[in-house]
Order: sequence, then C-alpha cells, then structure tokens
Amino acid sequence: MTRSSAQALAVARPVIQALTVLNLLYAAGITLLLASSFFRPDWPWVPLGYDMHAAHPGLPLGLRAIMVIGLVGAAIVHLILRRLLAIVDTVRGGNPFIPDNVRRLQAIAWGVLCIEALRWMVAGISHALSTATQPMHMGGGFSFAPWLSVLLLFVLAGVFTQGARMRDDLEGTV
Amino acid sequence: MTITVRLDDLLHARRMTLTELAARVDITLANLSILKTGKAKAIRFSTLEAICAALECQPGELLGFDADPPAGQ
Repeated sequence: MTRSSAQALAVARPVIQALTVLNLLYAAGITLLLASSFFRPDWPWVPLGYDMHAAHPGLPLGLRAIMVIGLVGAAIVHLILRRLLAIVDTVRGGNPFIPDNVRRLQAIAWGVLCIEALRWMVAGISHALSTATQPMHMGGGFSFAPWLSVLLLFVLAGVFTQGARMRDDLEGTV
Repeated sequence: MTITVRLDDLLHARRMTLTELAARVDITLANLSILKTGKAKAIRFSTLEAICAALECQPGELLGFDADPPAGQ
C-alpha cells in the first residue's frame, strides 16, 4: 500500500463518522424548518430573503417540496456513509474482497445516482418558481463529476467482484 | 473423486511431527493442518517442493487419487 493510501485509510473512519454527524444535523435542521413552516406565517421564506409579494404564488409549496427532497437526500447520504464505513472497516481488517463489499459499492453507486436525480428535481422546481422579480437558482448546473463517480463506482464493484472470486480461489491454497 | 494427502503416513515414517515439518519448510502449522486434514483446495508447487525435500519423498508418495471416496465426501 502506498503511503498516501495508508494515510487516507487512517483518516477515513473519523472523517466518515464526522460526515455522518453533520448529515444528521443537516437533516434535523431541515426537519425543523419544514415543521415550523406550517405554524408560522412567512416562515422561513422571509428570513431566508424571499420577497413574498414579488415571489411566485407557489413558492411556499415549492420550497417545502425542496426541503422534503433535501430530507430524502440526507437519508440516501446516510445510507451511503454507513456502507462506506463498512467497506473501510473491511479494508482495515485486511479482507476487503468479499461479496458484501460488491453489494455495498453498487448500493453507493445507485445512491449517488439518486442524489444527482434529486439535485435535478430541485433545479427544476427552482426554475419553475423563478420569476423576473424573484429569480431562483438552486440545484446548480450540469456537472460531469457525479456521473463519472457513478460510473467509477460500478466499475469498482466489478473489480471487487473479480477480487472476491480470486480470493475465494486462493482460500484453501497452501 | 478426491485427492488424498498421505502426510500422516510420511511423517510417521520419517519420525517427524507436524510442528517440526512446519519449522523445516517454513509453512505455517495452520496451513499444514489444512493440508493434512484434506481441507486444502489447492497446493502451490513451491509448497509441494518444500514438503518433498523435507520428507525426502516424491509428490506421488505424498498425494494420491481416490476415484471412489468414502460416503460423505
């Protein structure tokens, strides 16, 4: 193992755990905002800087939908981080080429694809709510990175499939 | 059909224990136990060479082929 990959492995676990906590805090915050939006008028739209007189009439509903999408995204991120942590633990344990890691990598790939789809949904809602007087640009534009990540993850799952097969052949060899 | 390993017989003939053989051929006792109990799936030529050198035998004396193994195998 190269020095950089050994160092990366050493910090992977605490970093993933920290990201898990941040993701949970993010989900809690979004949940709080979403729940409070039903009880307080113009909340949180006005504190967030939206001018309700100039905004699209569907703004509250649209922003609530975006918050729900954010919660779905947080749930997917949580699943991804749990599986990634499990993979890191098998690498640290010296036995990464197992069928479980193939399934985990495939699940992570599908998760990243779903997050990208959610991002496009947010961009679509934002575009629909955008007006000349109250423009909205959420979700970002097209990026190759997520699509390349999905492809890379599926290829990696294929690599691990072969690795698990080779490991199985090697097991019991003296 | 099964490949048999006659390690026990050869060790007895050479008055050698499995532990002594493990030390001589630089193979772990665990791996030699796997071989002795018939649980090995494959054997490297380097391992076969080392065992034959230590036991002063031919591969054919160490390994056998049983076309009709006992029931349960």
